[in-house]
Amino acid sequence: MKLLKLEFLKCRRRKIVLVCAAVLAVELIWMGAFFTRQDAEDLKWGWMLLLYNLSMVDAIILPLSVATLASRNCELEHKGSTWKLLETMTSPGSLYAAKLCWGALVLAALLMIRSGLFLGVGIAQGFQGPVPWGRFGVFTLISWAVSMMVYALQQGLSLWFANQAAALVCGIAGSFLGILSMLFPPALIRCVPWGYYGLMSLVLMDWNQVTRVTSFYWRWPEPTDLLLLCLWATIFLAVGRTLFVRKEV
Amino acid sequence: MNMIETHDLCKQYGTTLRVSHLNLSVPEGSIYGFLGPNGAGKSTTLKMILGLVRPTAGDIQVLEKTMNNANRLAVLRQVGSLIESPSYYGHLTGEENLRIVQTLRGVPERNIREVLQIVRLDGQFGKKVAHYSLGMKQRLALATALLGYPKLLILDEPTNGLDPAGIQEMRELICKLPGQFGMTVVVSSHLLSEIDQMADHVAIIREGELVFQDTLEALHSRSRHHLALRTTNNAIAHHLLAEKSVPFQEEEGYLILPILSDEITAQLTHFLMKNHLGVIRLEERQKSLEDIFLELTGKAASL
Repeated sequence: MKLLKLEFLKCRRRKIVLVCAAVLAVELIWMGAFFTRQDAEDLKWGWMLLLYNLSMVDAIILPLSVATLASRNCELEHKGSTWKLLETMTSPGSLYAAKLCWGALVLAALLMIRSGLFLGVGIAQGFQGPVPWGRFGVFTLISWAVSMMVYALQQGLSLWFANQAAALVCGIAGSFLGILSMLFPPALIRCVPWGYYGLMSLVLMDWNQVTRVTSFYWRWPEPTDLLLLCLWATIFLAVGRTLFVRKEV
Repeated sequence: MNMIETHDLCKQYGTTLRVSHLNLSVPEGSIYGFLGPNGAGKSTTLKMILGLVRPTAGDIQVLEKTMNNANRLAVLRQVGSLIESPSYYGHLTGEENLRIVQTLRGVPERNIREVLQIVRLDGQFGKKVAHYSLGMKQRLALATALLGYPKLLILDEPTNGLDPAGIQEMRELICKLPGQFGMTVVVSSHLLSEIDQMADHVAIIREGELVFQDTLEALHSRSRHHLALRTTNNAIAHHLLAEKSVPFQEEEGYLILPILSDEITAQLTHFLMKNHLGVIRLEERQKSLEDIFLELTGKAASL
């Protein structure tokens, strides 16, 4: 707890709130631009269209956002050569855990605010049908879980490399692969960590080639995908932590 | 009581033994100068003592406890350190930096203000550390190390990069610590003059090997005056000096003798001449500390 509290103190003036506000602004502008181009026929899908597109926007925006947050939190230690000071007062394993918890809390807050904002937008726009509170909750949880898996990868990179270019390039590549992977067959998407934003979407689209009509339907993520998500997260955590703990300062 | 003891301490990187069978003994209450040219293995040794680098072999005792993973953090609660460059968060103020360490060490909040006064940074509230000069950053790092009023302070090249005024200020701060707070200070440097002005015990390390460890007084005693004698035939002079029981050693064509009284010197030269030996040179010499350092390390006094 003490270490976690200190992570927030260390991140003072690191413009973390600004980064989160920028993520929300980009998602809002993106979705706003998308919805203004939809006709009345498309808008009847309301909530489904919103959640389907949000998972796509997540796949593009969140990998880079997660990389930026992890980098902002880890870079300050490299910049100030503080490892050799901190590791005389606490163990590297505890430091790793505190940084991971900080990321988990920041991402949870960001994604909850994001969901709240879009719920508000949907209600204000008068989307058809009852408000899918439960599905929004699950969607937020899935976005957070996938983001944490990506965060574990990014934290590992940001802690290992003093130069944050490597971690940020990985984030940019993740954003690109995240959206590109939606065009891959499901088996291949499962091999792309950033592809899980789309893979675990709660809404799927069906486009009928004959009638040329697009329809949407609700679904739940497959248990295999949940297991694979946990497996990826475990690998990133185990490798990242081991490399960090074994690194001599 | 020794605050630090190392036995056969070794560190190998690849195939190179960077620290080789080091046996250090740091007496309580001393300012222990750890001297050696750049790359001699000083920082690696100090990092091993703090558990930041794993030794390849040997063991380390700090405050009479053998350091291991289980007790490392408990032992280090009584140790303050400044290794290589100062550690700080540039986007935070000096006080905020100290608050982080104070929380981690679990020491009273009032210590922050006290240590800022000790290092004379108490007028810098609200200023981000990124805007500090290097001297101020070094002083903040010293304040960080002092925060828990540790029994043992390990300072690795604390005057690196400072201007002469900064060096003097840092030196004054370090010198008053044992008297004022009862601390034992280990201070490393590649500058002999710096250690000479601060330390009372000295260890000299060369290419990872300990070449000298004793009091500063003992190091100074090596710089005693001596006589250098050169004759027309030093080989015969050997026998004659032995006959008169005058201790000597040969060095670069000179016979090095201890300081003799004027009367004995006159008798000796007369005795040599009586034995048909010409005295070409008879000089009074004194080895400087730099000469001794050079002899011990095989390098110039400051590299």
